[in-house]
Amino acid sequence: MERKLPYYTEPFERTGLARRFLDAFAAILTHSNYDLILDAYARLGTRCSRCTDLCQVYQATGRTEDIPCHRSELLLRVYRRYFTAPGRWKGRLFESFTLTDEHIYEMAESFYRCTACRRCKLECPMGIDHGLMTHLGRWILAEIDIIPKALLVSVREQLEGETKNTSAIPVPALIDNCQFLEEEFEEIYGVPVKFPIDVTGAEWVFFPAVSDYLLEPDTLMGVAAVMHVTKGSWTIGTGNFDGINYGLFYSDRMLGRIVRNEAKEVRRLRAGGVLVGECGHATRSATFLATYAAEDPPKLLNILQYTHRAWKEGRLGLKKGVIEERTTYHDPCNIARTNWIVEEPREILRHICADYVDMVPNRSENYCCGGGGGTVSIDEIREFRTGIGGKRKAQQIRDTGARYVVAPCANCKKQLREVCEDHGLSEVQVVGLHDLILKAIDWEALKAEAKAGPGAEPTAAAPPPGAETGKEES
Amino acid sequence: MESWIEWARGPAFRLALALLLLGLLRHVLLTVIGVREAMRKAGDKVLPGKRIRAAVLSWLFPVKRLGTRTVFSTASVIFHLGALLTPLFLLTHVVLVRESIGLSWPTLPPLGADLLTLAALLGLAVMLAIRVASRPVRVLSRFGDYALLVLTALPFLTGFLLAHPAWNPIPFGPAMLLHVLSADLLMALIPFTKLVHIALLPATQLVSEVGWHFIPDAGEQVARTLGKENQPI
Ligand code: SF4
Repeated sequence: MERKLPYYTEPFERTGLARRFLDAFAAILTHSNYDLILDAYARLGTRCSRCTDLCQVYQATGRTEDIPCHRSELLLRVYRRYFTAPGRWKGRLFESFTLTDEHIYEMAESFYRCTACRRCKLECPMGIDHGLMTHLGRWILAEIDIIPKALLVSVREQLEGETKNTSAIPVPALIDNCQFLEEEFEEIYGVPVKFPIDVTGAEWVFFPAVSDYLLEPDTLMGVAAVMHVTKGSWTIGTGNFDGINYGLFYSDRMLGRIVRNEAKEVRRLRAGGVLVGECGHATRSATFLATYAAEDPPKLLNILQYTHRAWKEGRLGLKKGVIEERTTYHDPCNIARTNWIVEEPREILRHICADYVDMVPNRSENYCCGGGGGTVSIDEIREFRTGIGGKRKAQQIRDTGARYVVAPCANCKKQLREVCEDHGLSEVQVVGLHDLILKAIDWEALKAEAKAGPGAEPTAAAPPPGAETGKEES
Repeated sequence: MESWIEWARGPAFRLALALLLLGLLRHVLLTVIGVREAMRKAGDKVLPGKRIRAAVLSWLFPVKRLGTRTVFSTASVIFHLGALLTPLFLLTHVVLVRESIGLSWPTLPPLGADLLTLAALLGLAVMLAIRVASRPVRVLSRFGDYALLVLTALPFLTGFLLAHPAWNPIPFGPAMLLHVLSADLLMALIPFTKLVHIALLPATQLVSEVGWHFIPDAGEQVARTLGKENQPI
């Protein structure tokens, strides 16, 4: 009987799975750097179980299969048996572990129960990065065509489809959309904010999660408003306007291709760099520009960093305390786990919100939303995502008593909305940071300025306290 | 008996020591070479040095770690202290070394040595108890995990009994033989078991970071090897 996986895949060859898995594993080992970590991890695992304290999936299920160390061991066992000398000898001399179809299906299930949030690494005394094991395990599986269909079709459309983006938005629709948002600006605020398209020589090419064009108009308007006020030099490229990179979630091969396409668009537009929208994995995957466009890597900035810097330098005025409802902040794993972008959004939120509270734990120790590692796109596992993966997050949100949860990440937003829905947190609104910034900009002043005509300095609102001491962050 | 003990602390000890030192050296060298090689091939040559250092130090001096899993962490820390200090700075050990090769260094006072030995044993006992009693550790544990705990305890237990003949139920000869042999075996096994972390722990945080430094054309090469170059997605 065909074993069922918890997610849909396209039909794949079911015979000779083990042999093909080993071939793919061998090929990857030959051409990549993974040998180094596998060798270290295979020796060092101490099986101390400290990681269980940190994994939101294990905490919700208590299942042995969900222990991070146990999951990594699934792959390490294959490595030891087939790719190390002692393992091969042992295999020859005694009856030892043999790779079976069953074991492969177990990995296929297990590596998609892990959200690759890398929280467990914080407590591993041996420094084992289980998220990296998940990352590698998924790549090997992908080479034998075991890939969640949701991820696969997105990447196919992005790399080889007509529209070249994961949401399959045709360019005319994109342009329409931007024009519509420009009209909104005129209508609501009376200010001519632009979405510049295909401008050559701009400093930044904008790469949001493309789904924002369909689902997050407020986030996009917030970004455009910031760019307008700060006179930012940016553009949306019609050659490539999608920051999503599901290669990060299942195949280094795809990761590289998608990243190179970003670099290509920056070069086509003779721009300076990549400005990533509110999206955690898009931001982290863009750090691989340094790998895949190493000859001449474009600069990289996340919009949170851009906005924070402008505000600190006094180029962006934001009204203090305009958001009255209690607000909290969800750290997207991909930008927070290494303490990379954690203070910038908080500083802004503390300024514009009258009642800001942090979730506990937070920053590098934050809990994953439960939809990380691309699992949020797999609709058929929603029950698992929100019931198990998102259980801890729901509790965290409830504990803050917040009305707004700010999550500067397209994936986190989708997942958190579903988590709130499934956990009865109907009064909670999940928004992007720039959705709130939109409300904190002094539109009256901007309108007056627009009336006064070009040449007038933007003075939207008072600069933040300490603006002159604002330090540059790289 | 005498000649067995002589053998255990003569040739057998030298062999075990050689295995230990050469084994660890080999691991360190292979890791250094591996890291350099990987970084040479990687597209991105920058490593987050500060973060790696901070992580390594936080595990080498795990003061802040005592907050999580307090009992286990404390047991582990006192075990490591005892296990590191006692064998190296015990008076009788240092005297043996001086007699054979003439080198000498400061030693622990007897009470200190006793306390550290007991700390090591207590730490091991607690770790063993947790391994048996706590579900997630128990389900992860394999035979080797228990065997190593017991083997590690043996030299300390016998050493303590040898230092306190009044409490020692075993005759001196067999106790000494057991002490030296178990220590030999433990030393020889270190490079081949998870105990290799003695040498590799400072390197693993670095190795994990290097793991995320990919080779730019790895994907294309893999596709070629698997005959998938021109296949559509
Ligand atoms: S990476 Fe995250 S989801 Fe995966 S095992 Fe670790 S803590 Fe759990």
